[in-house]
Amino acid sequence: MSDNFVERARYLCSLGGASATVTALPGGIPILHSASGCAGNFAWTQNGGSGLQVGGYCGSLTVPSSNIQENEVVFGGEDRLREQIANTLKVMDGGLYVVLTGCVPEIIGDDIFAVVNEFREEGHPVVGAATGGFRGDSYWGYDLVLQALVKDYLTRGLPKVKGRVNLWGVVPYMDPFWRGNLEGARRLLELVGLEVNSFFTPEDTLEAIREGATAELNIVVSDVYGQGAARLFEERHGTPYLTVPLPVGAAASEDFLKAVGAALSLDEEVVASAIAREKREYYKFLEPLTDCFNDLDLQRYAVVVGDANYATALSRSLADDLGWLPVLTVVTDKLQEELQPKVAARADAFSSGYRTNVVFESDASEVIGHLNRVWPRSNGDKYHNAFSPAFVVGSSLERDLALKIGAPHLSVSFPVANRAVLDRGYTGFRGGLRLAEDLLSQVVANR
Amino acid sequence: MSYFDNNVPPKREDRLQAVIAHKENICSLAKNGTSGKGCLIQDGDRGFTQGTICLLLPALAMLNSLPDNVVLLHSALGCGSCTHSQNANVRVGNTHRWGKPKDGIWLSTALDETDVISGGEDKLERAIIEADRRYRPATITIVAGCVPGIIGDDIDGVAQKVQPEVSARLLPVHCEGFKTKIWATAYDAVYHTIGRNLLTERGVKPKTPQDELDVLKEQERLSRTVNLMNVSSMGRVDEQELERLLSSLGLTVNVFPVFAHPDSFINATRAALSISTCPTHDDYFLGYLEERFNVPSIIRHMPIGISNTSLWIRDVAAHFGFEEQAERLIAVEEAELKAALEQFRPVFEGKKVFISAGEFRALATARLLQEVGLEVVAIRSFHHDQFADIEYEKLAKEAKTDYVVDIANVQPFEEANLIKRLKPDLFLGHHNGNMTAAKLGVPTHVIYNTGLAYIGYRGVFEVARRLHRQLSNPAFNRNLADNLRLPYSEAWYESEPFAYLNTRGRSVNE
Repeated sequence: MSDNFVERARYLCSLGGASATVTALPGGIPILHSASGCAGNFAWTQNGGSGLQVGGYCGSLTVPSSNIQENEVVFGGEDRLREQIANTLKVMDGGLYVVLTGCVPEIIGDDIFAVVNEFREEGHPVVGAATGGFRGDSYWGYDLVLQALVKDYLTRGLPKVKGRVNLWGVVPYMDPFWRGNLEGARRLLELVGLEVNSFFTPEDTLEAIREGATAELNIVVSDVYGQGAARLFEERHGTPYLTVPLPVGAAASEDFLKAVGAALSLDEEVVASAIAREKREYYKFLEPLTDCFNDLDLQRYAVVVGDANYATALSRSLADDLGWLPVLTVVTDKLQEELQPKVAARADAFSSGYRTNVVFESDASEVIGHLNRVWPRSNGDKYHNAFSPAFVVGSSLERDLALKIGAPHLSVSFPVANRAVLDRGYTGFRGGLRLAEDLLSQVVANR
Repeated sequence: MSYFDNNVPPKREDRLQAVIAHKENICSLAKNGTSGKGCLIQDGDRGFTQGTICLLLPALAMLNSLPDNVVLLHSALGCGSCTHSQNANVRVGNTHRWGKPKDGIWLSTALDETDVISGGEDKLERAIIEADRRYRPATITIVAGCVPGIIGDDIDGVAQKVQPEVSARLLPVHCEGFKTKIWATAYDAVYHTIGRNLLTERGVKPKTPQDELDVLKEQERLSRTVNLMNVSSMGRVDEQELERLLSSLGLTVNVFPVFAHPDSFINATRAALSISTCPTHDDYFLGYLEERFNVPSIIRHMPIGISNTSLWIRDVAAHFGFEEQAERLIAVEEAELKAALEQFRPVFEGKKVFISAGEFRALATARLLQEVGLEVVAIRSFHHDQFADIEYEKLAKEAKTDYVVDIANVQPFEEANLIKRLKPDLFLGHHNGNMTAAKLGVPTHVIYNTGLAYIGYRGVFEVARRLHRQLSNPAFNRNLADNLRLPYSEAWYESEPFAYLNTRGRSVNE
């Protein structure tokens, strides 16, 4: 990882993440207060990174944007923003309007909150977030939008409702499988009788989001994404939060349900029987694979490259569900140093006992160097314990690595340029089956 | 003094009086031409706007294609992430030219809050040096986004200072998005750095002829070599079509600058002629090549559509005195093509089409669609400048009605309103510009995609063939329209489509 640049960044700026997040909210209309190119940049990025998903109800080039120019840089952009919000309320039909700032207005010192408050006082559903690109990556932009909702949109002082939870930690579009992953996690929670507010699935509504403070627990399926909002939520609305890893596959899903059950003091019997039912189903589906899995020798070494949610979660599913050997796990986020041990620790306790090597590296061209360090290359020895047969699970940037080491490849983490993703997800027991299907299909593609 | 003597090229609002916000009809645009543009309010814009792109995006499309180049963005983190989709073009472009895919390499200094306060020049210096050592590229294009433009980082100064320490040639490119509304300024920004930095000998040695025969042969070759300008608006398939036509006139083609090695750029200064396919792209650079290296150029017609392709060939042929040869070629090509197009005509006849793209592309494609039997009912050009006057004239001659021309840097809300009124049978839009029509159930087709053929005679047939396919089963878009809605209020559909034109600043000031 370089201190001076990031190579082919696997994320956008905070504005990019924030804009995608608002687009993903039911009836969400982003209003960018930024230069004109930001929206187009996000659309092109999603085109190449989000599994062919660009925008939604109001995304892509449909997004209202103040498109500020040199004139505003000189004289300030608040009047322009006021005009843009007023006209957006006339032209666009949304349930919630979120003003998001880009680099330019923040550097010149526009006070967007003063402008936003004028509209809020008139009763318009408008909130704002300062998401200038230099503040951080798109994952942080997601967090900032959630924080804005927690502060300015959720109703305060509502009584908690037993069995109601909010689910966070999957970032729309930045996780190309966001919809499937949210649904998979949501379904797990529903198995133990919980009522889930997941904000971004077709089942979610603005009404439910507004009443989000009635949840007795916030469940964040990420050590990083949404953590800021969860802390703020607890402070503002008194709802505690539980941080769990993204539950990819059978082993992780079982742990997930147990952790949630413990946090909410659910009836142990209910949790155990839900797990048993899901596992029975899971192994019923898996059973006919037994012959081919063994006869075709489908066990693989693997390099796993992914964001802070995916990297260890995928490695765990490979190791614990499939009995593969994910020798190297590369976490691609530029995390603050204190967060790194937390994320790395997720690889400490795989139920299979397998130990992977975790490294933090954002630059795709450097991954092969890390692999060579943990698995030395042949020195031309006649007998060499080679890194083969291998598999690369990563983003589409890892195609080059896969080619170099002669391994098949599956894109899961952003950017996913070479797959079409609609409702597919890898969370839950069913998600584990999807992952197995996708990995093994790549292995046998030329059969 | 040439524009190229300055660090930063001028924006097109200043150089060409280009505009992005205007409503006009085809006949009045054709009739009034440049002189009629008194009504185009300079720097006018809408009081409601939607996000578009900025010059950084097309500039990166060019820069990422250059073999052996590393793009180093000097900006906040998000700028340049558009390359994730452009990379598909880089991979396919490499495959088509050299048989295997190759990813572009782009980096970002990812300026953070500290850099914004204390300046990013030191970080940029270190980034250049590290990039040079890690990737060993021939060139590093240092591309400035908005942030350095505001905090005052001097990328030219940094490049000059660091140049002696690195082996890559350093090329500063100015893409501060807030500085121009005309994203076609991107082409000027890239050509500007090429003109200033790459047209001197480096790496490639010119042939040193050994005897008089060699001298003559080289002179002969150069006197028949033409630059074919491509700023990434053509895929390899389109380049091949133009190469086919030019080589049948006996010309050798040097495609420039996309996918050309930076060390070979010098070749452009030795050609007998430069040929543009689009005045929106190349006027800035061709002027410089003429003025500085005496390479004459042709920049007039875009070879999209039958008549435009023939006009384009005639211009080139006239330069070399190959008129007769060209007429024979054109006669054969046109006859063959027109016969082949007959099969589609029954499906196209009477169908109304709405076209949206960069100005020249939109207009030339409109002409193509008229030629294959479709009726143009609306055009949206991303900007307007004087080069297009001649195209509006061509279109007006063939227009069945005095249809609307919307000058807009996309702005799909105007388009949604117009589509509901005009009810076209077909819509052609640029990338991310088809979703409005699609969600309204209109069959759509992308007007630009480097994997598809659009240019020359072959392009006419391929476009017609694809439109015929789209019209044969538009169920995908129809299903969308039946089940989804666009995010506009009912009140907006009832308003006049150009209600927000030139209203910017009014509501606050009045």
